[in-house]
Amino acid sequence: MNMNWSNTNYILRTGVLSVLLLLPGLISATCKTDTIINSYKADSLRFIIKDDSIITFRTGDSIFTIIRADSVLPVAPKQVKHSHYDNRIHRFRRNWERIIPTHSKIQYAGNMGLLSFGTGWDYGKHNQWETDILFGFIPKYSSKKAKMTMTLKQNYMPWSINIGKGLSTEPLTCGLYMNTVFGNQFWVNEPERYPKGYYGFSSKIRFHIFMGQRLTYDIDPQRRFLAKSVTFFYEISTCDLYVISAATNSYLRPRDYLSLSFGLKFQWL
Amino acid sequence: MIRKNVYVFLLCFLLSGCGMIDYHPYDVRISGETEVNAHNIERIEANCQGKTTIRFVTMGDSQRWYDETEDFVKEINKRNDIDFVIHGGDMSDFGLTKEFLWQRDIMNGLNVPYVVLIGNHDCLGTGAETYKAVFSPTNFSFVAGNVKFICLNTNALEYDYSEPVPNFTFMEQELTNRQDEFKKTVISMHARPHTDVFNDNVAKVFQHYVKQYPGIQFCTAAHTHHFQDDVIFDDGIHYVTSDCMDLRTYLVFTITPEKYEYELVKY
Repeated sequence: MNMNWSNTNYILRTGVLSVLLLLPGLISATCKTDTIINSYKADSLRFIIKDDSIITFRTGDSIFTIIRADSVLPVAPKQVKHSHYDNRIHRFRRNWERIIPTHSKIQYAGNMGLLSFGTGWDYGKHNQWETDILFGFIPKYSSKKAKMTMTLKQNYMPWSINIGKGLSTEPLTCGLYMNTVFGNQFWVNEPERYPKGYYGFSSKIRFHIFMGQRLTYDIDPQRRFLAKSVTFFYEISTCDLYVISAATNSYLRPRDYLSLSFGLKFQWL
Repeated sequence: MIRKNVYVFLLCFLLSGCGMIDYHPYDVRISGETEVNAHNIERIEANCQGKTTIRFVTMGDSQRWYDETEDFVKEINKRNDIDFVIHGGDMSDFGLTKEFLWQRDIMNGLNVPYVVLIGNHDCLGTGAETYKAVFSPTNFSFVAGNVKFICLNTNALEYDYSEPVPNFTFMEQELTNRQDEFKKTVISMHARPHTDVFNDNVAKVFQHYVKQYPGIQFCTAAHTHHFQDDVIFDDGIHYVTSDCMDLRTYLVFTITPEKYEYELVKY
């Protein structure tokens, strides 16, 4: 009974965490577009500044006003003196803004759970690097209880090719991920009851490598609601223990130690 | 053109991908045969009914030695004098779900029935749960001819007092269970007394139960990866340990009405 409770607790905790991680991305994405559209479209007064006059009109209006002037002073940027406090606040905001996630992902299979949900950041000159945190769940199947997993994933996409009609493809994605599974039957280091180094591996943490491809659809800016673009990806991966098993045996075929997974990426920013 | 290629490529992967969808190395998602021991015990008991001479093979510790285990299966299939095979445990190295399934599929290639005991490596992670789902309870027995085989989980170190290991209640019940069907007894385990995973505090108690079995012949074990024949206690009961699969050997035991004998076969 106690075991069951702690298990649902895991699921709850992970659920809350992933929602919390997703929210800032969603909120920031919606706010940005909204404010831009409201302040610059319809109903705004426009100025045309010439040497001797200023013409004002409203967009879409045929009536305009001309204000004569003897001379128009060049616009001198107003010197705003930033205090140390202001600078600090700017820096503070700039730094925190960097950790706003740029995208979210859903991934099916891949030895990280039946389904994994997570969020992450892309960076680099061409956004060719990507780091994700994902939470997954494994149904109980023939075991006593369902399990949660957490994955830290690093992606690298050297090329992106535009194929028109709003589609682009990343012909190669590769990277590594580290998966940890929650539950007290798994350990990082062997419990003390074992002689030191008896098994010499961790059942809790797995290291995976993967290769895959992606297809991205850029959503028309007029029709965007939440995401800027949606990417479908698939990956072929394997993990440390499968590699070790395959290396010394010809019995194992690639389909035994390779694993296929699919996913969707939603680009918020 | 490129797009068409992408679709064709994706379709190929989807088709070839069946069987490549993995949720987790420890997911205990079983495909294929389950309750293997129960099925095979039925076959063993049917095949050996009324026999007074039985010949069986013991081996074990096949973890991560898939090629060697496959060769073992081919080797046994060449013979036609074997009644059944006892795998002494440690099918898996890390307790991964797939390891059990791979090994089960290899062993299913045997023409003769086999049973698998639980080894200490089989208990890692979700291994014990996978073992139970694929094979059977961790303590079991069967009667071949007039010999009862008691197969025991002796990996006490893995259980940390969460389950009685070795289970003396089970051992006691088996003394009298199906009493009139057997005259001799063989006891099989993964780790024999005085090995690192056996609970040595109860080694003598264990032996006390072993001695009570009708017509006790000998005990078989695996775990240490090397062939050994020891009389551990001063009661003349032999503990015969098989090599690991890496050494490409197996033991053939023959129990006749008068005596028993065994030989170490290299392949």
